Amino acid sequence: MFLINGIVLLTAGMAFFGNEFYSFKKTTVEKLSTIGKIIAANSTAALAFDSPDDAREILAALRAEPHIVAACIYDKNGKIFSEYYAGNEKSKFPPSPGPQGYRFSYTHLDGFVPVMQETLPLGTLYLKSDMGALHAWLGLYAVVVAVILLVSFLLAFVLVRFLGKSISTPILALSQTAKIISDRKDYTVRAIKMSNDELGSLTEAFNQMLDQIKKKDDNLSEFNQNLELKVRDRTAQLETVNKELEGFSYSVSHDLRAPLRAIVGFASILEEEYAGRLDVEGKRITAIIKKNTMKMGRLIDDLLEFSQMGKHDGMKVTINMGRMVNDIKDAMALQYDTHRISWSMGDLPNVNANASMIRQVWVNLIANAIKYSGKNEAPQIEIGAMTKEGEYVYYVVDNGVGFDQQYSEKLFKVFQRLHSPEEFEGTGVGLALVKKIITREGGSVWAESEVGKGACFYFSLPARNEIRVNHQ
Amino acid sequence: MQVVMSILSHFIQRLSRTVWSGRYWLTILFVLSTISGNAQNPSLEYQLKAVFLFNFTQFVDWPAESFPNNKSPLVIGVIGENPFGNYLEQAVSGETKNGHPVIVQYYRDEEAAKSCHMLFINLPASDKRKQVIDKIKEEPVLTVSDASDFSIQGGLVRFVKKNNKIKLQINLEACKELGLVPSSKLLKLADIVEPGKTN
Repeated sequence: MFLINGIVLLTAGMAFFGNEFYSFKKTTVEKLSTIGKIIAANSTAALAFDSPDDAREILAALRAEPHIVAACIYDKNGKIFSEYYAGNEKSKFPPSPGPQGYRFSYTHLDGFVPVMQETLPLGTLYLKSDMGALHAWLGLYAVVVAVILLVSFLLAFVLVRFLGKSISTPILALSQTAKIISDRKDYTVRAIKMSNDELGSLTEAFNQMLDQIKKKDDNLSEFNQNLELKVRDRTAQLETVNKELEGFSYSVSHDLRAPLRAIVGFASILEEEYAGRLDVEGKRITAIIKKNTMKMGRLIDDLLEFSQMGKHDGMKVTINMGRMVNDIKDAMALQYDTHRISWSMGDLPNVNANASMIRQVWVNLIANAIKYSGKNEAPQIEIGAMTKEGEYVYYVVDNGVGFDQQYSEKLFKVFQRLHSPEEFEGTGVGLALVKKIITREGGSVWAESEVGKGACFYFSLPARNEIRVNHQ
Repeated sequence: MQVVMSILSHFIQRLSRTVWSGRYWLTILFVLSTISGNAQNPSLEYQLKAVFLFNFTQFVDWPAESFPNNKSPLVIGVIGENPFGNYLEQAVSGETKNGHPVIVQYYRDEEAAKSCHMLFINLPASDKRKQVIDKIKEEPVLTVSDASDFSIQGGLVRFVKKNNKIKLQINLEACKELGLVPSSKLLKLADIVEPGKTN
């Protein structure tokens, strides 16, 4: 920028100088030419009537123009007729007149003017001017140009410095502010406006933008806080409602059991103490009453268990799945006719979970398998596990009646049954309970089957808990 | 000799101005004039006077009525003995004044001299001169003579020899009365005489 300034100034200076030099030269020549014409016009008579004295007198008028150092008049034969010197120093004149016009030499400007009376040529005037004026002028002009250049340079320098500062300072301040804001995430910081120019309005716009960001940020955090509060409120409400519901269902189940116990008790008394007085039909009816009442008691027990599930908070321990399943299998032998069943057992990986909950799951699934394969002449039950994508998938397969695959989702809902109680006894709570437990343990439950071709029930548990098994 | 040469070279220069440089002709002329060595040549004094007579035509304005038309000649007349030889003719040859060709006429009769514009009176006898002057004093004729009493007699221009130089005396008042206007530059060189006051 500085260089460009310099070049421009220098070029302008040179151009001015050149132009002035040229016009000064031209002016000088014109001036000399005018003087020459006047002198030539005045010297005609002196030449015509052979009067060198008069010619000398006329030339003497040149004294008024100090730069003309010498002059002479040639007669029409080209001989010097009259001479003039500004100083005492006698200069040499050209021996004969040259062509009309003026010429610059290094030290002088000289030229010839014809002396004519009307159209009659009488002689030639020679004028010689020194370059003193030109040199003096050149010196002065050079000094002036140099001074102008210097002043312009200084001015440009000062302007560049000042303007540069006035531009870069606010921009630096602005970027500093932006950095502070992004570092501290503090939208209350503001840039300081330094001037009323474009940069000032940039700073203002920047601050306005910050205002808007601050407002949005405030809104957002306020909204977040509200949301959190709302979630907390809702959670608390839900918990309360849930507790109430649990309490309600518990008390309902509990209170329902008392009259049932009475019914069963009195039905037993009837069977035992009044057996002699009851005929066969009476005995059968009493047995039905007792049986149905006990069935209802079981239903209530299941419901109670289901509703109490939420109260058991997961005490997770490492479960030896193989042993647990064998225990259950042994216990089942007391309750069901299991000697016809051919069992096959795979390796069951240990898992970290709530033991009583997982036991309940196995009990329900194995009981189901025994129950639904019971009508098969050669019932088979296979229990196993596999590892899949960080989970253990356990399964229980039977060769029982199976079910239609399209109703598989229905199986896991409370009181939803695919078979009538007459076909297979059950309350419709067992699989719902399985799903609830496994979901709580972070796993999932699903079933595959075809009607008449047996069923396979799967449940998965996160394998990551097993890591702790090795330490225990 | 110098003057002859200069005059001659002047003519040649004029003729050849556009053809050749004057310096060249000057040399040739110098050679020619030396060889010819003309016996009829007038004295230096009269050679100069002849040039002066011609130069008067350039430094004096005549009234327009003195020319019948704008092509009619400006006549330089000589009365009395011709002291110029053919030098005067040579001096005026080819020259013009405002478009009027300058010619030379030699007169014996002052009556005829009335029609000229300039008359060089070379008559030694004073009464004779007076007679001529009186005869043409009403006409716009620039009378020129060497005679010392010329101005008193009513002549207009007189050649005066001073320090071996030819000076001019002009009777300005008389010139003006006749409508002759000498250039101020000419007057600057000349002595203005007023016959009533001087000798």
